Amino acid sequence: MPIYEQTYRRYEARAPLRTIRSWPITREALRLILSRRAFLGLLLVAWGQFLFRVIQVYVVTRLPEAARVLPIDGRMFGQFLTIQTLFTLLLSIFGGAGLIANDLRTGAILVYLSRPLTRRDYVIGKLGVLLALNLSVTLVPGLLLYLIALALAPEQFAKWSLAWIAPAIVLQSVVTSLVMSLLALAVSSLSRSARVAGLGFFGLVFGLEVVRGVLRALYDRPESALLSIQADLQSLANALFGMGERAFQMPWAYPASVLLAVSLACLAILRARVRAVEIVR
Amino acid sequence: MTATLEYVRASKWYGPVIALNDVTTAVGPGVTGLLGPNGAGKSTFLKLAAGQLAPSQGEVRVLGRISWGSPELFHRVGVCPEPDAFWESLTGLQFLTALLSLTGFDEAEGRRRAEAALEQVALADARNRKIGGYSKGMRQRIKLGQALAHDPEVLLLDEPLSGMDPVNRRRIVDLVKKLGREGRTVLVSSHILHEVEAMTRRVLLIHNGRILAEGDVREIRDLMDEHPHTVALRARDPRALARAIVGAPHVLSVVFGAEGEWLTVQTARPDDFYASVHEAALEAGVSEMYSPDENLESVFRYLVAR
Repeated sequence: MPIYEQTYRRYEARAPLRTIRSWPITREALRLILSRRAFLGLLLVAWGQFLFRVIQVYVVTRLPEAARVLPIDGRMFGQFLTIQTLFTLLLSIFGGAGLIANDLRTGAILVYLSRPLTRRDYVIGKLGVLLALNLSVTLVPGLLLYLIALALAPEQFAKWSLAWIAPAIVLQSVVTSLVMSLLALAVSSLSRSARVAGLGFFGLVFGLEVVRGVLRALYDRPESALLSIQADLQSLANALFGMGERAFQMPWAYPASVLLAVSLACLAILRARVRAVEIVR
Repeated sequence: MTATLEYVRASKWYGPVIALNDVTTAVGPGVTGLLGPNGAGKSTFLKLAAGQLAPSQGEVRVLGRISWGSPELFHRVGVCPEPDAFWESLTGLQFLTALLSLTGFDEAEGRRRAEAALEQVALADARNRKIGGYSKGMRQRIKLGQALAHDPEVLLLDEPLSGMDPVNRRRIVDLVKKLGREGRTVLVSSHILHEVEAMTRRVLLIHNGRILAEGDVREIRDLMDEHPHTVALRARDPRALARAIVGAPHVLSVVFGAEGEWLTVQTARPDDFYASVHEAALEAGVSEMYSPDENLESVFRYLVAR
């Protein structure tokens, strides 16, 4: 029988799993995405509305009559976040479509899962990328805008009756970012091509919006908004910020339930698709 | 031998297809070759150890732990997968550093280890080139590098020599042997017999999801009692040698080689043959003697045909 030399005793690897295992995945992917100039340009454009709203607040504090055209109140934040949803969509397409699809195409997922990482860590790491991008155009400018509004127009915003604005911004931003991120990741996991995944995600979101538009034109009922992810987010914003738009007027629990169901479906897809080994039956 | 990889009645099936069938075996430190034709179940065997698949039945343990669902094992296990698994836009150095950060090393340490691993697989000169521009052989080596970089105790290498040129093949063979001598458990799969033969004599032969045989090639050969053992002899006077040995009961056949110097003998009892041939060999002027049956290929061919 062979006699083995037992000289190898310099084990240096660390036995326990680290607490934050997903961070390197998020960091590397963000590095890669943010090295693209076009993407940085998109991020800059996404902050354009923030500048416009700051100017709006400033102008109204200096010229109160301008409030008739551009009122500054709680609804302004709802409108701001509703428009920012479009940018979360674009960021999710350009930043998220390839996140899992590329790993499936190149087989890199195998390499990830041959490290001290679980499938959950992998998904959290990838989700972290999109959450960071999407929150950077919703939560960050939303809260910053609120702070600027507080500073420029304290008589208007520093009231207990408007204390709900900050939590509403946080909630709407987190829900928007989370749903868009999960949806983009789930679609990305269904293809090996970033391009196909991007088109699929775009088609899904806008396709449902078109269907909603048709149903709305036919039946004129706000419930048609439940069909579209974008409209669900808008309905939620409508309820949270008291925007009073008739097309999205419904109890907040309705769109919240749909968004929850969509998120759970995305997690189920990710659970099924994120594997080191693709099993072909 | 202390087993570092253990398969206990492990089976894996994909729907109606059985990839691995009730396998019980153990692999210890050193280099072990996993041999079998394409579709034999080699990759499934490795993926079960790598925790990338859960066994449908039975269990697979690595370093005493169930491999499925034990990601912490990968601090101590290195996997070199068969398919190319890269981020093509990264350089070799960035790729290894990124993977080492996933293993838990900080950037400075990761970079140091990545450089060392690139040196080991002879890619130091190409460290700053994008992987997208690597040749097939370089890709194989960077895959091996990522498996080695975190200094694992167990290495699972799926077809690591595929696509390599002879020079690098030699280099990687030497590296694998060195890793085995260091006491690491190295399991190397291949469907090319001479590749494995160059690295180790300890093999697991796998076919149709079953282990056909395991152990040293010679031990496997000894198990095949009913299979004649072939010995080739080069002699000054092969006919005299033939006359001397053909009457022995353990000699089954004698065939003269085309060149006139070679004699091929088939025997049912190789030990008896070697004991008795000594004197006749001296008289016939035997200058070379070897057993082509010790070649892995003949063992494999024989076992698969059984």
